[in-house]
Amino acid sequence: MNRLALSKIPRYAAVMAVTLAAVTPFYALILIALKNPEGGLGAIRMVPDFYLLNFITAWEKSRMGRAFANSLVITAGAVFLVVFLAGMAGYSIGRVRSRLNRVIFMIFLLCMMIPGIINTVPLYTLLIRLKGINTYWAMIAVLGVNALPFSVFLYSGFIRAMGGALEEAALIDGCSYFDSYWRITLPLLKPVTASVVILQGLGMWNNYAQAVFFLQKGSMRTIPLAISLFFKQYGADWPVMAAAAILGLIPPVAAFLLFQKFFIQGITTGAVKG
Amino acid sequence: MHINTANWHKYMALPAFLLFSLFFLFPLFRGLQLSFTAWDGFSTPEFIGLRNFIQFFSDKRALGDMKTTLLFALGSAPLLNLCGLSLALLLNSGFRGRHLVRSLVYLPAVISPMIMGSVWYLLLQPQRGIFYLWLERVSVEPGNWMLHHGSALILIILVNVWQYAGMTMIIYLAGLQAIPEEQYEAAALEGSGRWKVFRYITLPWLFPSIRINVITNIIGSLSVFEIILALTDGGPGYATESLSIYIMRMCYGNKTGYSTAVAIILFFIIMVPVLITLRGLNRMGESYE
Amino acid sequence: MNKKLMTIITLIVTAAALWAGGKQEVTELSFFSGRVETVEWTENIIAEFQALHPEIAVEHEYQNDASNVMKIKLASGEVPDLTTVVTQDFIDQGIFMDLSSQPFWNRILPSVKDLCTDLKSGRQFKVATNVTMGGLFYNKEMFSSLGLKDARTWDEFVANLEAIKAAYPEVDPLFLAGKDSWTLGHLIEFWVHGIIKQELGIPGSRQAFLDNDLGNLAFDVPGGLMESFASALLELQEKGLINADAVTATYDNQKEAFASGKAAVINQGMWVVGDIIKLNPAMTTNIGFGPFPPVMDGYKPMVLTAEDSVLAVSAETADWEAVLTFLEFLFSPEVQKEYCELRGMPSAFKDVQADWSPISGDVSRAVETYVNINFSTEAPSDLSVDDAGRLIQELLTGMYDSPYDFAKAYAAIWNAAY
Repeated sequence: MNRLALSKIPRYAAVMAVTLAAVTPFYALILIALKNPEGGLGAIRMVPDFYLLNFITAWEKSRMGRAFANSLVITAGAVFLVVFLAGMAGYSIGRVRSRLNRVIFMIFLLCMMIPGIINTVPLYTLLIRLKGINTYWAMIAVLGVNALPFSVFLYSGFIRAMGGALEEAALIDGCSYFDSYWRITLPLLKPVTASVVILQGLGMWNNYAQAVFFLQKGSMRTIPLAISLFFKQYGADWPVMAAAAILGLIPPVAAFLLFQKFFIQGITTGAVKG
Repeated sequence: MHINTANWHKYMALPAFLLFSLFFLFPLFRGLQLSFTAWDGFSTPEFIGLRNFIQFFSDKRALGDMKTTLLFALGSAPLLNLCGLSLALLLNSGFRGRHLVRSLVYLPAVISPMIMGSVWYLLLQPQRGIFYLWLERVSVEPGNWMLHHGSALILIILVNVWQYAGMTMIIYLAGLQAIPEEQYEAAALEGSGRWKVFRYITLPWLFPSIRINVITNIIGSLSVFEIILALTDGGPGYATESLSIYIMRMCYGNKTGYSTAVAIILFFIIMVPVLITLRGLNRMGESYE
Repeated sequence: MNKKLMTIITLIVTAAALWAGGKQEVTELSFFSGRVETVEWTENIIAEFQALHPEIAVEHEYQNDASNVMKIKLASGEVPDLTTVVTQDFIDQGIFMDLSSQPFWNRILPSVKDLCTDLKSGRQFKVATNVTMGGLFYNKEMFSSLGLKDARTWDEFVANLEAIKAAYPEVDPLFLAGKDSWTLGHLIEFWVHGIIKQELGIPGSRQAFLDNDLGNLAFDVPGGLMESFASALLELQEKGLINADAVTATYDNQKEAFASGKAAVINQGMWVVGDIIKLNPAMTTNIGFGPFPPVMDGYKPMVLTAEDSVLAVSAETADWEAVLTFLEFLFSPEVQKEYCELRGMPSAFKDVQADWSPISGDVSRAVETYVNINFSTEAPSDLSVDDAGRLIQELLTGMYDSPYDFAKAYAAIWNAAY
């Protein structure tokens, strides 16, 4: 599969360099997480202390088990919502050039550029009125909505570039555009869906700016809120926080490895031009 | 199929839009009203018309932040795209372990920028950072690189690129995967050179990816927030403060009305380059078809 | 299609379960706290309380960004029944209940009651359960090896630091943690505002801050207080008496340096003691506590003694009785003793005897010997400790042509904040 046939040695060298650059700070994070608090961060060495107590403290003190469950439900719910809604919207916008769609697209595009802080207070008031504070559904809705513009943009771009040849074929067989979206288009969009899941899901998993206001009860806290517990009034408990951060990123990394499978070639077998 | 779904595709964007209107547009509208007031966060808002917007242009700190933000974006956005694309190209071909490397490159984006920024500070801190000391040992004198506007910005840009290049890469990967194999086979048959393949086959197919990445990176770079807070806290003084940081500090510092106005100004600062870029890209895209 | 269906069902079931789980017949009390350090202890206390009073349910919400979240809550008209986030602004807005006639004041030190009094109305809208101290922490061994004593004037202070530098060249005499700008901001709040408080007395200075009427101690007076401070700080920098990386060093660096003996003196409060001992248990017997030096001649050294662990009650609380019951429990001597020892601060209650810190003896002695100053609670809220600290970052980076320029800049943002 040497499409862009770079000869092997420079390529491997580049890959090694990239890996090193990516890994080094991460290794530093691991060192911090495994550090014995005595002596502080200034006494950090290249070899970890293997002070696993940090992880246990992080897990217990911040109730990470509960936080994991919350983060999982909210992120999964919001991602599902986004893929469902944005995919549909992207399809319509990509195929139907109506005035309605152009307006909707423009609004989504413009809203991507709006600094989130403007919404905070009115959104908070709105959620109080809808009794959405401390609930899963409200958090899912808010996070999903925040992810819509980008996802719609992504889907519509790819759908338009894909061309409607396959769907036309289905239409002749008696399918409507709507049905062919679910049966034909969406499965072909696996890489795009994977991107949306990975990128937006990540943002949702790490969301702090909304969660801090809308999830107040201890039992509803998500991972970022759990980690923030270790920022004290003055200073922070770095080793434990690093441990918490590492625990918190296991699901996203696992999800990423899982969804990587969608980045495989060959989706257009027997498709497109004849 | 007793329901006639023949026309449904025309309205498929509506569910998304309706939900969006309720949870985004409606609060946004209420929020925008604040920019015309001198609200401090609790007492009754007092309407002052456009005074907040006018104040911005004589606010030295805000103008300085705008300059810093623009400089940062000028460095960060193109670099992010370049690195993301290079990484995607590098890691697209089949070699063993490419999944692992992709995960490693993507990993920084998974960790909160506040925490990662603090780790970077541990590495880059003048006189104490691990990288810094290592550089001194090999006789490179970085000096007090956190304290000079220029060098501090460069460091922040580099850390930002490190953190987010993985996300850009993912979108380019998706784009690369969408290119049908036949295109390359045809080119191979013709005996086209590597550069020609890239320019005439890969690039056009990457168009949607390029579009979304350029725009996302412009928006993200102009909104930069946590990375700067973690690395320099906007300092020394306010030298590396970005507009988003300023807005946040004003919002919680009793200048809520003014901060909303500055946020709107930031919106326009973001919108102009994005729309220009979009138009430019669309025109380029058309020339390929 | 199957996966999608499963997901939908799961979501619906989860939602239903959550909705069903929240219905009970008790009085609910919302307690909003920014004290994340004591979350566990607080939850235990609440559990104990609820065992005694099952009809009262305390909803404990704790946030690290408590003041920001509080502002958003207030903006939406939601005031927690009980909260630890209290500022002069909030008091002015009238959102808190007047606690002046409460019986617990009889058990509280009069000085603490004074500090809790709102000057504008003469009443108390907050109560504090502890007192915290701030001063210069110093390495006892180094000081005693050189025969150094608490500095009474600025020159003595500089002499102390120079002696340390001469005898221990590898040690930073005074360690500043510039990256965490609040530590620099404290220099102004303690060293500079402290002189105002000395001059005008604490009630006088509080009023002066409220009215922004500082007379000849105003910050932009040439050759005055703020200019003296700036010159003093620059003098320390020129003579190499502060760490070379003062502007980029962090609070963690500062603690570690002090704990490992690489810094001789740090400007901090009691909150730091526990952390230092954790870093190096041997420091338990080596931490000295002394006063802040006066940056202008004619003034005396000072120690910060301020109210800590404040609480306030919403003026619109629906369940005053419930709140009172909870407070009674919280303020009981046994509970307070635990809290004091946990936080390392003495109690504001006269009847609570706690072994609150390994250095409590030294601290109490310093408090009795030197002028006591408080936090500048009446300073304009728009000028935060962080903002003041950032100005000092600029000063130490050489962004001001003269100390007077710095003084003018500070005066400008101080006045703008009113």
